[in-house]
Amino acid sequence: MRNRTFWIAYLLLLVAQLVISNFFRVTPYVMLSILPVMVLCISTRINTFWTMLIAFASGLVVDLLSEGVLGLNALAIVPVAFLRNAIIQLIFGKELFARKEDFTLRSSGFAQVGLALLLAQALFLAVYIWADGAGMRPPLFNLYRFLASLGAGFVVSLFTLNVLASESGK
Amino acid sequence: MKRQRLLPRFLNLAVFIVLEIAALQMVTHNADLQRVWVARGAHVFMGKVWGASQNIRSYFSLSATNQELSEENFRLMQELEKTRERLREARVEGLDTLRRPGFSMVAAEVVKVSRNKQHNYLILNRGFEDGIQEKSGIITPNGVVGIIDAVSAHHAFAFSFQNSDISISARLGDEGGSGLLVWDGIRSNGAVLKEIPLQYRFQKGDTVYTSGHSLLFPPDIPLGIAGEAKVVNGATNEIAVRLFQDFSAIRYVSVVHNDAFDEIEQFEP
Repeated sequence: MRNRTFWIAYLLLLVAQLVISNFFRVTPYVMLSILPVMVLCISTRINTFWTMLIAFASGLVVDLLSEGVLGLNALAIVPVAFLRNAIIQLIFGKELFARKEDFTLRSSGFAQVGLALLLAQALFLAVYIWADGAGMRPPLFNLYRFLASLGAGFVVSLFTLNVLASESGK
Repeated sequence: MKRQRLLPRFLNLAVFIVLEIAALQMVTHNADLQRVWVARGAHVFMGKVWGASQNIRSYFSLSATNQELSEENFRLMQELEKTRERLREARVEGLDTLRRPGFSMVAAEVVKVSRNKQHNYLILNRGFEDGIQEKSGIITPNGVVGIIDAVSAHHAFAFSFQNSDISISARLGDEGGSGLLVWDGIRSNGAVLKEIPLQYRFQKGDTVYTSGHSLLFPPDIPLGIAGEAKVVNGATNEIAVRLFQDFSAIRYVSVVHNDAFDEIEQFEP
């Protein structure tokens, strides 16, 4: 039951991401994405293989249904899925996997969850901005874009986290 | 157990690579900018891979390359030696301009020379088998170098002009007085022209030539430039001469021999 709630929330957030991608383009410096937090919040009971496939499919849906280069979101989100377990183990420890539990803001604390979010978001943005720029944009622009997107994405991801990783939600 | 844990990791890595390649393919097919960027990156990557493989191949073929270089080096050394020999012959042939009527001439190369003694000498690479005779003069386009004293089959020993025992009959200017030219014993290009009668007028800067009064050297070979003069015993002038010949750079010379030497020598008392 808890799983079904999660996946419904996941699909709704995917739609939300489509809305963000199509309508929230205020400045070229900010690229808002909640895909990293969505992938990070996928249950630890789902292994890396499936996580990568889900992430790839999610990225591809966003690419297909929003303006932009096809494949760019898929390219950037798969590394997050590939390293998701490593990020979780690094920040929350191996016990989470041993107990087959998922992290929540309440159980793990803001600092740990925030750090995990930052890492996932940074990884996603690094690949996305690097591939989107295609070596043609000035490094300083890329740096400003990365920092601005990381800040904005972090705030939006916190709200997303409340939906996906709340005690009641899982 | 360890193997069982490694397998899913490899599988994950493989799936990750496949998915990334698929995404990259989509990106490059739908955006020109990204296509160029990926193509450029691929070229750089392939260049590095080919460069590395070429380096490895080159490393393992070093032995063969060394062998080839060694053979090439040997061939070039032989070419160089041939070229040097041709150059030497050309220089010797160039000395032919010194040929004078009544004198036979043999070109030779100086193989040993002494310069820092009072009685200096030369050794030439030509001997009696090459036509060299004793009592022959040694000249270059810049003047007189010495006199042959002894001859072996393939070499000749000569007294250098830089020898306090050697004097040469020399003339001051075109029609000036004749005297004896000797090394001053101090400078490598310094000489003194002695016994010039006082009645002969000359100027500083006049050229000194061989007089032709000696049986050893043909006349009119320029030897040097007249300098300061002084009167000796109130009877003759003694003139300092700066020689044209640089004795520190002698290599190719002509050995000249008076064809009438023996005939004239008979009249000597």
